[in-house]
Amino acid sequence: MLELITAIIKPHKLDDVKEALLANGVKGVTITEVRGFGRQGGKTEVFRGSEYSIDFVPKIRLEIIVQASEVQTLIDVIVSAARTERIGDGKVWSMPIGNLTRVRTGETGVEAI
Amino acid sequence: MQVMTLKTRLADKDRQRFFFAFLAGKMLGLIGACAAIFTIGPWFMGTVAHALAPGADDIQTQVTGVVNGLNTAWTLIAAFLVFFMQAGFMMLEAGFSRTREVVNVLLECIVDTCLCALLFWAFGFALMFGVGNSFIGHSFFFLHGATATYTFGGSFDTGVAFMAFFLFQFAFADTCSTITSGAMVGRTGFVGDLIYSVGVSGFIYPIIGHWIWGPGGFLQTAHNGVWLRDFAGSTVVHTVGGIIALVGAIVLGPRLGRKFKSEGGGLPAGHDLTIAAVGGVILWFGWYGFNPGSTLSAIDAAGIGRVATNTTLAAAAGGMVAMFLVYPRSKKWDVGITINGFLGGLVAITAPCYWVSPVGAVATGAIGAVVVVYGIDFIEWLKIDDPIGAVAVHGFAGIFGTWAVGLFATGQYADFKGLFYGGGTKQLWAQVWGNGLVVIVTIVVSFILFYAVKATGTLRVSEEGELEGIDIHEHGSPAYHPESAYMGRGL
Repeated sequence: MLELITAIIKPHKLDDVKEALLANGVKGVTITEVRGFGRQGGKTEVFRGSEYSIDFVPKIRLEIIVQASEVQTLIDVIVSAARTERIGDGKVWSMPIGNLTRVRTGETGVEAI
Repeated sequence: MQVMTLKTRLADKDRQRFFFAFLAGKMLGLIGACAAIFTIGPWFMGTVAHALAPGADDIQTQVTGVVNGLNTAWTLIAAFLVFFMQAGFMMLEAGFSRTREVVNVLLECIVDTCLCALLFWAFGFALMFGVGNSFIGHSFFFLHGATATYTFGGSFDTGVAFMAFFLFQFAFADTCSTITSGAMVGRTGFVGDLIYSVGVSGFIYPIIGHWIWGPGGFLQTAHNGVWLRDFAGSTVVHTVGGIIALVGAIVLGPRLGRKFKSEGGGLPAGHDLTIAAVGGVILWFGWYGFNPGSTLSAIDAAGIGRVATNTTLAAAAGGMVAMFLVYPRSKKWDVGITINGFLGGLVAITAPCYWVSPVGAVATGAIGAVVVVYGIDFIEWLKIDDPIGAVAVHGFAGIFGTWAVGLFATGQYADFKGLFYGGGTKQLWAQVWGNGLVVIVTIVVSFILFYAVKATGTLRVSEEGELEGIDIHEHGSPAYHPESAYMGRGL
């Protein structure tokens, strides 16, 4: 069984999370720069003396595909590496996925991770 | 996207109270300023009598010259070119930084320029080019008592209108103060930056500059017939700026999360190499004011031509050498190091440009680039975070450039020869000694300055602010703003 772990984290935590995942045997990670808000809400910025609010705060979305048996360990790894204990630390979730194929070789399933 | 409307702001009681307190404060300030203007104003603004009848002042009795239109025009053009180097510095520094620290870099360069202009007018010029003793100048505060032409205390009449000379020298001082910010990108608090900039452009640069360029400075007084020769500022501008940058980077410490080569990391890549490369070439262009302009004389046509050609050859040799020197490491043609290389060549040729032949210029630029490449490695090995390479390019290449006078001077253009032209080590020793003294003094005073600023707690931004990004933390706005395309209100 394969699962997709998705994590939304603070951008400056990316290096820490990446290193923690590598240390735990993860072979590949995909990231995207994203913007959004949660309980943290937006924030205020300034331009030429006037304040304006930014509702969507920059975050990094990180995606990895792993075996179901590893999901809980890796989620714990991500959470402890990304945590600053301040609001806006993000979220991690996982969901089962049906198919996985490596484009180069055509391998499928666990082989393709 | 909530923005407080004007109406709710006006109705707010706190805001009203604040407004009146603010207004009262302003009025008090205004009264103080008026009082100051009417009491000491006539002294530093100058009066009609000042302009018409110079006489009592002993400096003014030494005026020999008439303003030479050509020399003045040439010096002004050179001053404008040197001023334009600020654009080059801004682009180079911004391009070599990470996106999160760009606004900070830009504002520091702009504010350094504004601050330096006012300080140089108030007292920097007086300390540097005022008539005084061999250690410090003390006339022309607020340009008070300016003569028709600048005459180095009556010893040498440039024929350049006084204020044109002032502007030219301000542009140099500004260059020095901008160099220092290059090694301190990304973590210097803005208030701290303002405070140390006052120290750098108000005191350190002018006082050390007085020793070498000011009237009667002790490093330009002959000892055994030789003295420190620095045509356009390898020591005065670049060594001083680069060494202050080094000390600043040491006292600050590296940016958070910066891994050095020995730890398996390296310098974070610059975010915009187009901006950085164009900025580097703008600096090269500005150098045509920096070096040829330092003749202060349009009549010395041969000198200007020689200096301009030497400047070009040194930069060209520097760029090529740095590129080929680094190629074997990565098997890649590296644009960043090539930019730093030709800048190193330019810094190195700054002191000797008037006294060397084209061959000497090529050699100086080439060795300057070698110094830059290994200097950058050395700084990395010491685990000092210098995002722009300011220490290697300005500090180390500046030191070598000063020595190069004693190595490559041909003796055709002045009555001294370098080591390779049969002059022995006499001039070389004067260069090494004078430059070494400047380095030591600069290290000592800038350690004192930076630790003093550090003691106020303003030198470095908070850890939280640095992680958030210094642009947003200190200036409230990122440099690149994807959302602004969709924003209707508040912008």
